[in-house]
Amino acid sequence: MHRLLRSVAISCHAAAVQRTDHGVRRLSITGSDVDPADEQVLRKRKFKPHQQSAELSEKLAGQMPSQARVVICGGGITGASVAYHLGLKGWGGETLLVEQDRVGGELPWSACGLAGRFERSYTELKLAEYSTDLIKSLTEQGLPTGWRQVGSLNLGRNFDRMTSFNRMKSQAIAWGMNCEVLTPEQCLERCPLISLDGVEGGLWIPEDGVCDPHLVCHAYLEEAKRMGVRVIEFCAIKKIHSAHGKVERVETTAGDVACEYFVNCSGFWAREVGTLSKPVVKVPLKAVEHHYLHTKPIDQLDPNTPFVRDFDGRIFFRECEGHILAGGFEREAKMVYEDGIIPLSQQARQHPPDWDHFHELLDSLLHRVPSFREAKLDRLTNSLQVFSPDCKWILGESPEIQNYYVAAGNKTMGVSASGGIGLVLTDLITKGFTYLDLHILDITRFLGLHNNRKFLRDRCKEAPGKHFEVNYPFEEFQTGRNLRMSPIYPQLKEAGAVFGQSMGYERPNYFDQNDKQDEFGLPRFRIARTKTFGKPPWFDHVASEYRACRERIGIADYSSFTKYDLWSKGNEVVELLQYLCSNDVDVAVGSIIHTGMQNPNGGYENDCSLARLSERHYMMIAPTIQQTRSMCWIRKHMPAHLRPKVNVADVTSMYTAICILGPYTRVLLSELTDTDLSPRSFPFFTYKELDVGLADGIRVLNITHTGELGYVLYIPNEYALHVYERLYQAGQKYNIQHAGYYATRALRIEKFYAFWGQDLDTFTTPLECGRSWRVKFNKPIEFIGRSALLKQREEGVKRMYVQLLLNDHDHEVDMWCWGDEPIYRDGVYVGMTTTTGYGYTFEKQVCLGFVRNIDANGQELPVTSEYVLSGHYEVEVAGVRFEAKVNLHSPNLPTKFPDREREAYHATRDRPDQADLLSFSSNLTTTGQ
Amino acid sequence: MFKFMLNDAIGYVRNNVRDISLNALRLLPHLPQLSPYDVNLVLRENEFIFNFPLDGVIHSYETNQLGSNTPCEDSRTEASLLFRNGFICGIFDGHGGAACGQVVSKRLLRYISAATLPRQVLKDKMQKGCTSQSFLKCHNDNADFVNEIKPIYEHSFNKYITELIKEPQRDVTSELQHAFVHLDESLAQEALATHDVRTMGVALSGAVACLVHLEGLQLHVASTGDCGAVLGILDPVTNQWQPKKLNTEHNADNMQEVQRILDEHPKEERDTIIRNGRLLSQLAPLRAFGDYRYKWSVETLQQQVVPMFGEHMMPPHYFTPPYLTARPDVQHHELDVNDKFLVIASDGLWDFLSPSEVVSLVGQHVNSKKIQEPMRLENGDVTLQEISDKLAERKAGLNRKPIDSNAATHLIRHALGGTDYGIEHSKISYYLSLPKDVVRLYRDDITITVIYFNSDHIAKLKKDEKGISSKVTGA
Repeated sequence: MHRLLRSVAISCHAAAVQRTDHGVRRLSITGSDVDPADEQVLRKRKFKPHQQSAELSEKLAGQMPSQARVVICGGGITGASVAYHLGLKGWGGETLLVEQDRVGGELPWSACGLAGRFERSYTELKLAEYSTDLIKSLTEQGLPTGWRQVGSLNLGRNFDRMTSFNRMKSQAIAWGMNCEVLTPEQCLERCPLISLDGVEGGLWIPEDGVCDPHLVCHAYLEEAKRMGVRVIEFCAIKKIHSAHGKVERVETTAGDVACEYFVNCSGFWAREVGTLSKPVVKVPLKAVEHHYLHTKPIDQLDPNTPFVRDFDGRIFFRECEGHILAGGFEREAKMVYEDGIIPLSQQARQHPPDWDHFHELLDSLLHRVPSFREAKLDRLTNSLQVFSPDCKWILGESPEIQNYYVAAGNKTMGVSASGGIGLVLTDLITKGFTYLDLHILDITRFLGLHNNRKFLRDRCKEAPGKHFEVNYPFEEFQTGRNLRMSPIYPQLKEAGAVFGQSMGYERPNYFDQNDKQDEFGLPRFRIARTKTFGKPPWFDHVASEYRACRERIGIADYSSFTKYDLWSKGNEVVELLQYLCSNDVDVAVGSIIHTGMQNPNGGYENDCSLARLSERHYMMIAPTIQQTRSMCWIRKHMPAHLRPKVNVADVTSMYTAICILGPYTRVLLSELTDTDLSPRSFPFFTYKELDVGLADGIRVLNITHTGELGYVLYIPNEYALHVYERLYQAGQKYNIQHAGYYATRALRIEKFYAFWGQDLDTFTTPLECGRSWRVKFNKPIEFIGRSALLKQREEGVKRMYVQLLLNDHDHEVDMWCWGDEPIYRDGVYVGMTTTTGYGYTFEKQVCLGFVRNIDANGQELPVTSEYVLSGHYEVEVAGVRFEAKVNLHSPNLPTKFPDREREAYHATRDRPDQADLLSFSSNLTTTGQ
Repeated sequence: MFKFMLNDAIGYVRNNVRDISLNALRLLPHLPQLSPYDVNLVLRENEFIFNFPLDGVIHSYETNQLGSNTPCEDSRTEASLLFRNGFICGIFDGHGGAACGQVVSKRLLRYISAATLPRQVLKDKMQKGCTSQSFLKCHNDNADFVNEIKPIYEHSFNKYITELIKEPQRDVTSELQHAFVHLDESLAQEALATHDVRTMGVALSGAVACLVHLEGLQLHVASTGDCGAVLGILDPVTNQWQPKKLNTEHNADNMQEVQRILDEHPKEERDTIIRNGRLLSQLAPLRAFGDYRYKWSVETLQQQVVPMFGEHMMPPHYFTPPYLTARPDVQHHELDVNDKFLVIASDGLWDFLSPSEVVSLVGQHVNSKKIQEPMRLENGDVTLQEISDKLAERKAGLNRKPIDSNAATHLIRHALGGTDYGIEHSKISYYLSLPKDVVRLYRDDITITVIYFNSDHIAKLKKDEKGISSKVTGA
């Protein structure tokens, strides 16, 4: 038809969209005192500073010192605690605390105020314990903290929860914590309010208590000020300047401060403050909604009502000034600020409550305490909280800038965390080390991917819920998956792999042929599940993989391992590694050595394998979780004169690592390469660059990290699929089988191989774990930790790494060991297990762990082999003790395929100078260890 | 003749399409399956929501349109009346081209907004040099007439006003009827006077209209043709939604209307006037704007139309014109506090849904909207149990949360995809991906406007009114 209407672009969408955006409530400030340049900075930072009158600015500018040794950003409870501890260490006069608003926050009771020690790991527990003790002692000094030791009652509704309570009870003895497992009736005695419907029992921690976080924060600050710390309020950090990779100067709205150390304690805003430096300090945190329910005062409410947690109902409650304060951790948290714009002010952090979201928790609370049904509502607050992607605190020196410390991600448990965090951070700043192994909380446990906003948005939905879930072994996150994958991932998935995630890397944990395809016949992505403390559902799969590795050929994906290349023009790289490593790295080209990188106290900062590719080129293989961490360690401890000359490159993402292990691997690999692989030309613990299949340049290491015959092939990514297919095809006649992480883990536990991060940590020395033969004291260099190790060699070790085989343990019915079980020698507690597993050859539970020798007076005595071997051992698994046989060195497992080389090699040795039996590798000047 | 047989066949298929459509749909091979995202994109393309800022009888309105013809032959206009507290809106379903519907949708509202103004005010305003657009404010208007046509229409409007001022004020019903008829006559005059193919196109294409005029509590629905208006009433006792139809469609199902037409023509034509449910076996609605093929005398058609468009423009059995009128039926309704919303829609919707279905769907939508807002608690003491109960109630509602925030879109989605067990995506996808040449057989253009009334304000007005009347009786 004829067009009678002048067509105008019809765009009614724009008008139709009438969203009331109460998600983001920004302060509308047009401060005349903010100059345009500042504004630019602040816009970039995406939050605006608090309005300051010109008068206040001037006053502040006068107060602001031009120099300070430590600048703490954030006047919340963490910052206050760091300031307090720095004061205690005598650094008070040189410490400056800067807060953009008022210290302590303006909103009391946006936290539950529990000072408790129900934590999952030794480190976290000890930090929380210290915090509680500190609050107690501050109270005794007469400072107002609101502290009352009411105890905490933790309820369990199912068998697994009760098992975890029993495990905790077992651990508590070792960890110096008082606790008691209760029957439902005893729970009712502790807290008559609760209904016992569904309750199977409880865990009572008498020394836990409650406090007022607001008061505690002020108590820290008052004490800190008394010790000389300067506190400046209404002053925002604008920029952190660094020079030569170290903190140099901090720019604030009230002027510049030259400083040596910067501590980011800005909690909720820590990720954003991280963006104020160059390079950006990545603090992976995501804000989610978190509700607290306050009732009106309730008549005759016992002020000594314990802090009650009903984990399976996901709720907690406490008495607070005559009323009830309750909250919980929902299964799936509700995200806020998905666009990443975080408002600056304390007020904007408070959101309108979402009752529908709180509904499940409210019903759960009313189910647990029926009498609250008649309680009157005072208010439901929704104060935002930030969580890290693994729901753990974030501590330590940032990998990006030296002397830049971070303490964040306290996940609503600020009070429990703050004291301990303040202490260890102060230790790190003033001494460089502290009294606890912090690697599980260290900020270097992250990669760049963890700071991706979309990743955080995905993952942090799940993180808060984890807080109240049963602490099953090998727990996996369901979100943020399929992120880092090796090139052969699709093949593995097709082969039935069930995956676990480490540093974002999808790693096959085991292979399950059942139900491996979805309804369209495509390979299904499956996440490994254990979900029990007893015999795991994957037992049979792993058993079959294990046998393949021992008797035929197993093929495993090691791609997630950290891989570095280190090289230099001159001899500098050797010089550097000699300084960093305790083993002698100056070995023949082509050799592989296992070595620790020790800290000044002799503890393992890293445990790695070094392959000498050429005279001045090494390849380092380290555990997956070391990817960020070891780079930091190397950078930080590189002597200044080597810095411009040695290149260190992280090549983790350039190589795919495929491990073939088992007695037929040599024959298999020989089929695919022209090189002679006989022990004479390619012995154990050596490296060769090989052509495999049609590809070239493949770095083949004649080790497997499990004690089996085999090779790890480091393949440039584009060849990975080719090499994999060739191996798998050629392997068919040997009945090659995929093996997952659990199978290789079972192998190495049986063979008594230690792993960094599980058995070894920053407090374990090589002498304690039977690896003194890898420490070369006679190296012509004073390597890091040498003097400490020498001293220890003189004095004898205080603990020793042992292997324990449990007798009379029925793996079908008894609870399994999963690590952190107490070890008893002649009925006396002597230590804890580290990693444990089922030994498929021994057909027994195998525990690795450390034993000490503590006399009746609590004095620690040196531990000798005789002491270890003379005792009668028991391991307590969830409250039941099992008799155990002890080993001090790697055992020789019965095998149909004897192999002289490997039998001669013991990863863990009981005599420091046990003779080397690798005599036939005489064509190399030095044998490779 | 063959052509008309074809038309009849199409008419037959159209009338029975509800029964055979789904089976036929399944037979169509290789229709692309649309994703839910694509479906949403199509359904929401023409969405519009307007919230009235001031406290008035109308709270907001929501409207949407889904075309089947290309271009879409439906039009819609909504406007606030100026110089008084009123609202006017209309839906126009064109046929034989979009021209008539588009023109009428713009001009009719202008005519009526002037006609229902008190004469004295109208006079004053016109003296101050007002134009046709001075008496109303359109809310979703993004097109205007081209420059060649505009003065012609403006001229007709001025002529209409001049006549209007001379005549005494009539009641709203009469004014509406008068405006309808007058505008329709203007279309013919303009076409004959200008000899422009465009104005002729307007006169020869047709449009049915449903127009809602609201001033204070007085609601008038003027309808010519087969659009429909239905009021949603919430029964305060049972809390159930009741529909109230506010017009009767002028089509062959309406016996009174058929009788009217038959009475106006000689007995000999009884068998030819309405055949296959159509006027002269061609036109489905029995009243319409334009369509001068059924209104002009045989001579006019022969002289003016046939030379321009050809012999086929002459309808069969055309003896005693006019056969068609634009005069509307007007129903008056005084708004009550229980009247919650009014739905007007073109026959594209009524083909799929009955008035009671429409009212219950919009009613559900209203209920669920309450749930989409965050829960608010009254001041004063409230126990946790009470909160828990309330939340449980909301939770039940949350599960039924509709996909669309716009009630008009909600209706279209249900019209196309509704089954006994809920919305079926594949069904909507089929309807939306039908090829252009057959789609008209399965669905017509759908245009819907849902007007929400502000019950609080209505209650206030009612109270004031009572106050006044009691005062009057008291005096």
